[in-house]
Amino acid sequence: MWRKSKPYLLLLPAIATIVLLFFGGLFDGLLKSLGYFPAIGETRLELTAYAEVVQSDGFWESLELTLRVAVLSSILAGILGGILGVSLFLLNEASKTGQARVWHRLFQLPLTIPHLVGGYVVVLLFMQSGLLSKLLASLGVIDELTDFPVLVNDPFGWGIILTYAWKEAPFVSLLIYPVLSRIQRSWRDVSRVFGAEKWNFIREIVLPVMLPSWTIAVFIVFVFTFSAFEVPFLLGVTYPGMLPVYSYQLYTSGTFADRPEALAVNIILAALTIALGLVIYYFSKRWQVWKGWA
Amino acid sequence: MKIAALLAPAVLVFTLGACAGETGNGNAQDADTLLTGEWPSVESAAAGQEVNMYMWGGSDSINRYLDDWVAPRMKENYDIDLNRVPMNDAQDIINQLLDEKSVGKTDGSMDIIWINGENFKAAKDNGLLWADFTGQLPNYNEYVDSDAPEIAEDFGEPVEGLEAPWGQAQFVFVHDESKVASPPTSMAELAGWVRENPGQFTYPAMPDFTGSAFIRHVLYETTGGHEQYGLPADEIEDLEGRLEPMWEYLNDIEPYLWREGETYPESLAKLDQLYASGEVALTMSYDPALAASEVLKGRFPDTTRTFLLAGGTLANTHFLAIPFNSSEKAGAMVAINEMLSPEAQIAKLSPANWGDLSALDPEKLSPAQQQAMNAVDLGAATLSLEELENHRLPELSADYIKIIEKGWVENVAKE
Repeated sequence: MWRKSKPYLLLLPAIATIVLLFFGGLFDGLLKSLGYFPAIGETRLELTAYAEVVQSDGFWESLELTLRVAVLSSILAGILGGILGVSLFLLNEASKTGQARVWHRLFQLPLTIPHLVGGYVVVLLFMQSGLLSKLLASLGVIDELTDFPVLVNDPFGWGIILTYAWKEAPFVSLLIYPVLSRIQRSWRDVSRVFGAEKWNFIREIVLPVMLPSWTIAVFIVFVFTFSAFEVPFLLGVTYPGMLPVYSYQLYTSGTFADRPEALAVNIILAALTIALGLVIYYFSKRWQVWKGWA
Repeated sequence: MKIAALLAPAVLVFTLGACAGETGNGNAQDADTLLTGEWPSVESAAAGQEVNMYMWGGSDSINRYLDDWVAPRMKENYDIDLNRVPMNDAQDIINQLLDEKSVGKTDGSMDIIWINGENFKAAKDNGLLWADFTGQLPNYNEYVDSDAPEIAEDFGEPVEGLEAPWGQAQFVFVHDESKVASPPTSMAELAGWVRENPGQFTYPAMPDFTGSAFIRHVLYETTGGHEQYGLPADEIEDLEGRLEPMWEYLNDIEPYLWREGETYPESLAKLDQLYASGEVALTMSYDPALAASEVLKGRFPDTTRTFLLAGGTLANTHFLAIPFNSSEKAGAMVAINEMLSPEAQIAKLSPANWGDLSALDPEKLSPAQQQAMNAVDLGAATLSLEELENHRLPELSADYIKIIEKGWVENVAKE
């Protein structure tokens, strides 16, 4: 009995914490988004907050921006991360010394930096009075600081996309690298025997092997950027803000009576994220991603 | 060890349940004697207590003043451990108290909270504060002018002894003397200045505290003064129509703002950064001595100065309160009393510590104390106490602020 239930019991503290804090918070948010807030004397359940959110332009403009930024950042991070992963793999193939490992560690560096810090780095480097702009001005490439393109707090969201591309590319490469490392050295030799060039080898063997886990990695980045707060808060524009920022603005600038609307945005966001998560789960099962190919 | 790990969550769940169930009768009786008893009895009840002070923790100098100046004195003189708990925003404090109230938690961890304005109103309206306790504090009775409007009301909301004044702040604009020799001193002049210097001015987006205060100055100056806003917001006639000139003004200057008003800095910290790096020429602060301390730290240029509007700028008082479910109320009272002492207030005034204006009535201080207060060097960037005092406007009540902040997003940011 003990032996059988032991693993479950050992998991209990972790599970209890997750259930209490995560699902508890989510459930509380759901109740409050339906207008249930006993502390201020509201105990009815109604969908008015959701109706108001869906009818406001602010929400749709925010959703559009959120989708655009999430799609572009995940694709960019995917391309960069893919190139990074394949290059590291080829480097590892070619060199016999520990050189590849040094590069590997170097490219993993962004993983250790918190998103907030990453966002600030982008602000300091790329704002119009930032380091890069001042450098270019002193080199005479641009005449005035204002000639530097607006890359931070721009309405399109380039600052946010840039940050995520830089921050998530190593994550993508980290996820595909283990799959790539299963490719045997002998396969390369065999492909050479059949007359394959380096490019053929990449296209015919490396890319198909990494594709399932690459797709999943890009999906994960997409879901993350879709619902993250700090980078869009720092690097976005006042209006429209990405959905998490929009929800924060609603939550902080109104009275208690406006809270249900802010929480409704959060619940919609959570529902979309969960739906995307299920899609990822479905495909990762089907493709048996972590083995590399079906 | 393993057993302990297993038991921890179970114990947690049970104690949470137990806390919620407790009625706190004993607590209530103790609390009553604190409100009616002699002060020495409060002091003796406070000895050995551990007082948690929840407050906005975003300023190094404020944190240092509490940790290095106030806390050691509390320990030495009263055997009280003052434990500062930093919060991101005073609103988080109110949210947490509201949650504690809705689950019926009677032995809360917060003993002193630092609030004012809308947060005080929310706390008062929802019964999150303990009681009328300020009349019990010797230093309050001796040094505070409790009838002064800035002490008796907090952003238009009657204080009713629920919180004790800790200090005062006043809005100032910040400029670099070497770049802007004669800064604009009215909203009309500012509009002209902005047109002549496109891209050199902006203000933090709502709901930033300082940005919100900036547009209240616009409100006062474009709609004919603050007197008309004495009524509660839902009783005033045609509020939307009255606010119209303010939105017009803000939209008129928008194309000449930083980044053509396409976006606004999301926080005062960002605006300060734009000022420090020379991207804009002006910044602002609701703390008249902050610019001086930024100069001391080397973040702002030495030629940084502050200025006021000729028609005056907003001033407000910030307060210390005791939550309804504080478990160390005696300690909280003694700590608040100590923070209202002339010594603590004079130390707080010095920019080397914090640079916050005193909450005490100068007339009630002894000549020696007055002299000590006037002798504090506020730094070249700070205006004199007299000049600040002569240009004070009362704050707008919190219900208007919510309406204006929401209206700004609709009328200015979206346009």
